[in-house]
Amino acid sequence: MTTFHPQRPDTEPMHKPGQHRQPLWRQFAALWAFGLREYRLWQSYRINQVLWMTNILVTTLLFFLLGQTIADQAASLLGPAYGTNYMSFVVIGVTVNIFIATNLSDPFFRIQRSYFTGTMDLFLLSPMSIYTPLLGLMARSILDDYPRLFFTFGFGMLLFGATFNFTYWPLALLFTVLFLAAGFGLGMLSASSFYLLDIKKGTEPIQFVIQELLATLLAGTYYPVTVLPRSLQWIACLIPHTYAYDALRRLLDPGAQPNVPVLPIQHVFPGLSPVLIDGIALTLFTVILVPLGVFAYGSGIERARRNGTLTRWQ
Amino acid sequence: MSETTEDAVLLEHVTKTYPGVEQSPRGAWLERRGPALWLHNLLGVARLTSNKAPPVQALHDLSLRIQPGEIFGLVGPNGSGKTTLMKLVAGLLQPSSGNGSVAGTCLSNTREIRRKVSYVSTTGWMGLEWPLTAEENIRFFATLCGMPTPLARVRTEEALHTVNLWEDRHKYPSQLSNGMRQRVILARALLFHTPLILLDEPTVGLDPVHTQLLLDLLRGRLRSYGQTIVLTDHQAAEMEGVADRIAVLDAGELVMLGIPGELRAALKEMTVIEVHTEEMESPATLPPSLVLAAEHIERPGALSVRTWRVYARTSSEALQTVLDWIVQPSGRVVFLAETAPNLQDVLALPRGAATGGHDESEHAHREAHL
Repeated sequence: MTTFHPQRPDTEPMHKPGQHRQPLWRQFAALWAFGLREYRLWQSYRINQVLWMTNILVTTLLFFLLGQTIADQAASLLGPAYGTNYMSFVVIGVTVNIFIATNLSDPFFRIQRSYFTGTMDLFLLSPMSIYTPLLGLMARSILDDYPRLFFTFGFGMLLFGATFNFTYWPLALLFTVLFLAAGFGLGMLSASSFYLLDIKKGTEPIQFVIQELLATLLAGTYYPVTVLPRSLQWIACLIPHTYAYDALRRLLDPGAQPNVPVLPIQHVFPGLSPVLIDGIALTLFTVILVPLGVFAYGSGIERARRNGTLTRWQ
Repeated sequence: MSETTEDAVLLEHVTKTYPGVEQSPRGAWLERRGPALWLHNLLGVARLTSNKAPPVQALHDLSLRIQPGEIFGLVGPNGSGKTTLMKLVAGLLQPSSGNGSVAGTCLSNTREIRRKVSYVSTTGWMGLEWPLTAEENIRFFATLCGMPTPLARVRTEEALHTVNLWEDRHKYPSQLSNGMRQRVILARALLFHTPLILLDEPTVGLDPVHTQLLLDLLRGRLRSYGQTIVLTDHQAAEMEGVADRIAVLDAGELVMLGIPGELRAALKEMTVIEVHTEEMESPATLPPSLVLAAEHIERPGALSVRTWRVYARTSSEALQTVLDWIVQPSGRVVFLAETAPNLQDVLALPRGAATGGHDESEHAHREAHL
């Protein structure tokens, strides 16, 4: 075996020696780069933009037209808690559903797409945090789905007679942050299935059960949970969507009465304001689901690193 | 495992075993898909069920030391463990057992390792973003790795010039040939003068001109930075001209290691005899004792002609002995050549044959295969 005499090294690691983590601003710079990348991807498919706009128009109009058809009968079901304007009720339902469904369903889908196109391999070779690609890839979902908020509110208010009371907007914003965080916690749990449980293709069960099944049927996007049998109302209390709908409707719908209980759990604590119960529930969901999602996703990556399933191509 | 700055790569008794992949029987009542697969794997993660599929051992008790600034070649046939070894050094895999370090960082510290390693793989889609131009692809990666924008601009230009792609910098990957895309990947790895560059089969798909360009780059510019380069190839011949040392892997084990001259010297006791014959059957008798191995090589398009490549111990009678063994009354020899072996031939030999050892069972296997 030979002895090799190397030249004087003139190399540099990707950042300073001994600095085990990239500074936070570099993680933000990476997130910004992801945002620009996703914008370029989104922008590069011009026909996609037309289809995107058409899809928003059609789905939003569909909900409103159906809503208007049954608005008078539906209003009587709302009860005093949510006011009497069904269009306002449905605008909040549709908006919250878009936001939370994006945060819950898209992480798995984004990771899956990135894995199969080979770009995830590249991200995992860079020294950034394993969570940066997960957050960065969500930029596309935000570009695709969050603007629907403006269309939904705009159509609802301008064309279909939805009205809102913005007196408590800071509180509504706080609830929005909470349900987005809780939804993303579930989204990270769902994304962790990709690496932790090797769910590489097809439908991911966590997002299917919670979003497609429970939230769609029970949380009360288009009707109040009071129309459901009592047992199903209790099941509705197990997902964050239900509390987000309840709180935001009480805060934003004109004529809504914040102190009238609707959800079964609100009847259990008659001394507490229903909005407070919603707040506590969403805070608990956030505090439990976000760390659990972070842990599950990190464990999934490490498990894949051990088992050799971390990258597709490299 | 103590931290060390002595070696660019240090592996001590590293073994990598992949868990086997269980297949549910096709057409089974509950085929594992969707929720059934999720539940099954969840139970597996919680260790409530066991994986009955046999594990796959990719590396076995491998010890290796690569010095800083060295160009180190890894050769071996498909499935020999080259890519597993590269992934392990790149921090994409964890060893099942054994220790090691990369540029002084323990193998378990994968995040720190990723700061010190640039990895170029030419398989798959190479991580290129199709809606971004070649230049944008490289700068995107620079940003992801935390490189400040002004430096990223300078380094991107430098890297694109180095791989001869500056003129094509505004082209999208779909407008580039496969070889050009490969050079974009290489340029991406040149952004950072990391202590270690891993090149997994970098010349696959490159034309001779750009293969030479790459080899010159390895010998010249990268070496001048003092970067350690580990490259794999299943073509050992290319490696001979560029690597300071070469390791030959087979079935996850290190079978030879040394400078190219030493490895060639180890082959001096061997001769390679190539025989082209008319269509005929494999010899019915066992090969003579001086034959180490023999291959029948399919030559697409060469109908009715068979090529036999026989690896024999050097002897004045070798040529005649092999001819007596292989030629049959029904066949006619149309070409015969005896050559000195090169490193590529090591891959065709039974384990230990080239270095003097002799594995009878392996030899017997090769005979049976013939």
